[in-house]
This record gives sequence, structure tokens and C-alpha cells, in this order.
Amino acid sequence: MKPPFPKCFKKETKPSKFCPGCGQSIILKMLGEVIDELGISSSVVYGCDIGCMLLSWDFFDLNTVQTHHGRTVPTLVGLKKANPEFVAIAYMGDGGAYAIGSQHFLAAAHRNDPITIIVANNTNYAMTGGQMAPTTFLGEKTTTTPQGRSFESEGKPMLGPELVRFINSDAYVARGSSLYPLKLKEYFKKAILHQTNRKSLAFVEVLSACPTNWRTDAKATIEFLKNLEKNYPLGEK
Amino acid sequence: MGNGVIVEAALAAGAEALFGYPITPTTEVLQFWAEKKAKNKKLIFMQAEDEMAAGFATIGACLAGKKAFNVTAGPGNVLAQDPFSMAEAMRIPIVVIIGQRGGPSTGTVIYSQQEVLLTTHGGNGEGFRIVFSPTNLQELYDFTIEAFNTAWTYFFPTFVLTDGYLCKEKSIVDLHKAQKVVKPKPIFEKGKVLNLRNCYDMEEEIYEKVEEISKEFNKIASRVVRFEEYKLADAKYIIFAHGSVAASCRVAVDILRQKKIKAGLFIPKTLSPFPENQIKKALLGKKKIFVVESSLGQFSMLVQSVVYGSSLPFFEYLKPALGIMPEEIVNFVKEHK
Amino acid sequence: MKKKDLKILIAGEGGQGVQTVAEVLAQAAFWEGFWVSYIPNFGVEQRGGVSLAFVVIDKEKMPVFPKFDTADIIVVLCQRAVPRIKRYIGKNTIFIYEKSMVDSKRGIGLDLIKIAKEKLNLRVFNMIVLGILLNFVKISQKNIEKTLIDVLGVKFKKNKDLKELNLKAINLGKSLLEDKNEKLAV
Repeated sequence: MKPPFPKCFKKETKPSKFCPGCGQSIILKMLGEVIDELGISSSVVYGCDIGCMLLSWDFFDLNTVQTHHGRTVPTLVGLKKANPEFVAIAYMGDGGAYAIGSQHFLAAAHRNDPITIIVANNTNYAMTGGQMAPTTFLGEKTTTTPQGRSFESEGKPMLGPELVRFINSDAYVARGSSLYPLKLKEYFKKAILHQTNRKSLAFVEVLSACPTNWRTDAKATIEFLKNLEKNYPLGEK
Repeated sequence: MGNGVIVEAALAAGAEALFGYPITPTTEVLQFWAEKKAKNKKLIFMQAEDEMAAGFATIGACLAGKKAFNVTAGPGNVLAQDPFSMAEAMRIPIVVIIGQRGGPSTGTVIYSQQEVLLTTHGGNGEGFRIVFSPTNLQELYDFTIEAFNTAWTYFFPTFVLTDGYLCKEKSIVDLHKAQKVVKPKPIFEKGKVLNLRNCYDMEEEIYEKVEEISKEFNKIASRVVRFEEYKLADAKYIIFAHGSVAASCRVAVDILRQKKIKAGLFIPKTLSPFPENQIKKALLGKKKIFVVESSLGQFSMLVQSVVYGSSLPFFEYLKPALGIMPEEIVNFVKEHK
Repeated sequence: MKKKDLKILIAGEGGQGVQTVAEVLAQAAFWEGFWVSYIPNFGVEQRGGVSLAFVVIDKEKMPVFPKFDTADIIVVLCQRAVPRIKRYIGKNTIFIYEKSMVDSKRGIGLDLIKIAKEKLNLRVFNMIVLGILLNFVKISQKNIEKTLIDVLGVKFKKNKDLKELNLKAINLGKSLLEDKNEKLAV
């Protein structure tokens, strides 16, 4: 028997527009199940950033706003301030979170804004064809680092969750992986409850498969994801 | 001062949230609002990390059904085009007060009329914005109230385009109660589902979307447009000006009339929608057209697009980022009459 | 013919208290029943730089435009403000300047800084300027005090002597020009 769709999925927009093997299918499925189990779908406002996540604008049967690049966090911060009863979930990629939107997640960490931020980290700008991203690791080849990212020219990659933890001791901070969906689901549940019960920031980064731009087959994709754990340690911070 | 007038007007109009970033000449708006918030817990205030965050937070608050506004100026106005164009595309009723200052770039902190095109047509859109231009503090008060009502009636981002002179000016204003306060409606509601986006796949989709918004905008234009005609009925020379410069022109027209020169003034008080039909009518019987502005022709472009086809001589008095005194205007009209 | 309105331009350096003078003058005139407008004009520096204040006081109606072509009275307190205010000097403009800072061959030169230092305190130098201007606008002592408390009240709370000091400075300023004002007062 096939596992059922989460109730908060929009059936009419399936199959989704993600590439085969994209980590987002797993991320959003786990998120959907958590929303179902917590019974909060009528209160959720789901914001998605530019990048492959913009394809999720009609993914859920939830109030959704697709925003400009890097601006999902401030939009939901304003929304949450105006009506704290909404459950605000900001979903973005490593580019939106750590490059063009970096000042926003930092400010949210400083302010301890009571929203839940989920960052899908696939170490590249996927929708535009695989350019370097803040989380491209040293030596990784992308279209704008054809010889591999070097410390001298591009600096070290960004460790988002660690940075949030450094700034904010109250937030819930974790890093999961699309390789371990059930663990991820646990993190998501805690992340949402941290917003609703603790009225505090929750930040979960997820290592997310991107076979299209990694140019990997199924086996190699799993290897790639496992290797990423060396640069980006998993677990609650 | 003008910045305080803005706060009083916003409160009179039922505004509950302000998001902004300190920038001269509008900084005091944040300070006054923060003081109001200290006494009224219902109010929402956030000094954001930059103007983009401020604009997007304003959008978020509107989505949640609160009347929210933004203030910025000059380089902040440039950054804020990011959220403004999203509000335009998604019909979100943000209200924004712009205090024009010298440009381009950091320019001066004082005054200009150089953000006309940026405010009416900034971002990568087609200008689906309502823009008021007040000529004095009383109009700054009245139009700010009207901006909130207009935004929440027609759902277009609505701007009050003022300048550093008015923001910092202290004078006497009637802070009357608003005649009408439109009730805000939440866009996102618990229990209902709306999937909002601004990104499309095919050319045809975005074309249709733009056409749809355009139709709506044109439909409401006649209800929203504002203008004033000053001593224009029997005038031979028609002067076009807006904002603070129009106030200076009123004085200039009086002086010209004293000198038996039949000048009259047409003041567009909404720059978008622009009072095209009224301008075309006003041209009848006039001999020469004058445009006066503190920019290198941004307002003039708006006027020219309407008077296109007219054979009347056209004279521009352009002083980018410089205040224009009545005497200069008088001399210019005398020189070219 | 008695003038119905008065256009005053005060010019100095950031930190000399130009805007405070203008603000107190405008607000006191408002309480007295005049129509007023005031706008500041300055650059980005918090100190130094040129600071201008335009005040229009009208007996009969609201000033239509807060700036003007020609000032009735100009007060200049530093040399670097001089090029900025030249365009506002007209045939009948009364030109008052601080002798130790400004080089001028015309107008009324006063040693305001010296007077402030010797008789009161350099910090209330700007209030002497206010006193001088009050020769041209009739405002009751009551309204002046009311305005001072409004504008500077926070500072007065910290130092009880400040209010008296400011009032003394204003009176001193008034006395410096008493005989030269009949033609122009509103």
C-alpha cells in the first residue's frame, strides 16, 4: 500500500514540479505530516522564497505567499507581529537564506522572532543552473567555481545553524538531512512547537539532494549527501 | 512637524503598524511612532534591518489584516522598490510615505522632487501604484488619511510623495478626525486557503495578469485622481507644478496677477493616476505651458505625455534638488510670456 | 506701512543652537496667536557644517510657502554660513552678525559670544539671539516661558538653574537692539 499524502497537500498540483530525486519532496512531505498531526493547517501561513522552492507555491492546501528572493523571513515577521495566532513557516534555500537574505535571518535570530525557518541546503543555486552558493563546500565544483571552491577566492562555506545558535541561545536549532526523513520529522515537530508554545525562533537546515545539479545518479546522490555531513554536522544544536 | 503630522494622520486613519529604517528626512516618524507605541500596546513597530525588510514586513502585516505603513526616502526608496513591486504585483494595500531628498545616490538629506519616476514607476513593473503629492502640511495630513482609505478600498500600493521641506516643516495643521475610515480586511484568514504567487511560467500568463491589473487600475482611476486649478479659468499661461513647488507657484501666480499677467496653476495632486482628462480640458484657451519642478524633468515627462499633440509653446523651469522661490517663477514666466 | 509678515533667516554652524532658536521662536509666536512656519536646512554632519533656519511669522494668514526669496532679518553666526545666505539679502534686509566669527562691512555686528561668556554662559549664546529677534515680534513673557519649558523642559528638569539662565539670556538679547526696531516689528 502506498503511503497516503498528508491531508494538507493540494492533490490537484501533484505530481509536483520538483526534479526526480529532489530532496524537497521528502522535506515537504515530512512538514506536511507534522502539520497534519499537530492539527494546525488552518493557522499556518507558509512562505516560500525564490529558487526551486517557489515551485511549492501551490503545493499545500495552506495559506501561502511566494516572496521575493531572500525576503520570506521579513514578510513572515511582519505577518506574525500583526497576528501572532498564525503559525509562520518560512521555507527557503541556502542562497535565499545565507546570501541575499542573510541580514534577515541574522536579524530574526537577534530579535528571536517567533517564526519557524526551514532552509533546504543543496550547496548550489539550483534553479538558475548550479552556481556557487554560500554552502558550496571547499573543492566543490559548480558552474561559477569550475575548478572547485577555493578558500583564497571564495572563502569558507556558511554554517547557518551554528551561527544562529551563537547569536541566540533560546532558539530551537537543528540540522537534518533528506536522507533521514523520520529524524527530520522529529525536528520539524519540535521547530513548530517551539514557535507556538515557546514563542521563540526555530531554525532547521536540511541537507537536501540535488541530483540534477550534482550530476549524480541515485547511488552517487546518497554518497554525496552522506559526505555533506562531514562539512555540515547533523543534529540538534 | 511634518513627520509628526504623518504619524497623527496614520493613527487617525486606523493604522496599527509601522515598519521602517532610519533615514533623513523621515527618521522622526519612527521616533514619534515608537513613543506612541510606548503608550498604546496595540500598536506595532519594528525598526527593521534595512528598507527591504521594512517593506516586506509591511506586506506581511497587511496579509494579516492590519493597516501597516512604511516611510523612507532617497536611497531607501531605491532599496524599497523590491517590496513595492511585489505589493504591486500581488495587489497588497501597503501605504508608503516618501520624503524626497537630493539624488542621485546619497545626494543630500534636504529636499528634491527627484523621486517622481521612482515612486510612480519604480521596480520592474508597470506603475500600478496610487501616488499622492501634497502641497503643504494640511494636505500631507489629509492625503495620508486618504492613502489608507484608498489602499484598503482598491488594493493597490498607495504612496504619499512628499519631500524633506514638508517632513521637517513646523506649522499649523488641523488634526481633524478622519471623515471616513475604511475597515481593513485580512487577506489570509484562518480556515480559508489562498495560494499567492508573483512568479509565472509562460509569457502568456504574465501578459494576462498585467492586462487584468491594468483594467482594474484604469477602472478606479477616475475615482482616485485628485487635482487643483488655481486662478486658471481666465488664464493665458498655464503653469504645472506639484508638491512644495506648487505652493511656491501659488504665491508666484498671485504676484504675476498683481502685475497684470494672466497666469494660472494646475496642480496634479495624484501623480498616479495622472489627471489626464482634466489637463486636456484645462489646456483649452491657454497660450503657453510652463512646468516647474525641483528635478531635471521627471514631472515634466508626465505632463508632456498628456499634452502631446498640443502645439502650445512649452517651457520648463528645472532645478534638481533645489528649492524654488516664488520670485524665480515670476521672472521665468515674465521672460517667456 | 506696518508689515503684516516677517521673514527671518538664522544661519550658523551645526551645534551653535540655530534650530533651537528657530523652534522656540516659531512655537512662541504660535502661542501668541501668529500664523507661523519654520523649516530647517542642513547637511549630514551632526556638528559643524552649515545650519540654516527659515521662520515666517504672519499676523493674518498661514504662510503659503515656508521658504522665501528675500529675508527681512538675517542673523549670521559663523563665516562659513555667509556664502549660503547671500542670495537672501535684499535692499531692506536687516543683517545681524557675530563680530568674532563673521567679516562684514554692513549690518549690525554684535559680540554675542563675548557677551555670553562674560555675562552669563557660552551655552546660552543662542538664546541671546532669540532675545534680539524678539525685538521684531511682540511675544508675551508668559508665552516665551511656556515655549521654553515645552522645548527644553527635559534639560531644565536636570538642572534647575537652566531656565533662569535662558530667560536672562533672552532679556539680554532684547536689550541689545531695543532702539533699532520700530520700523519692522510685527
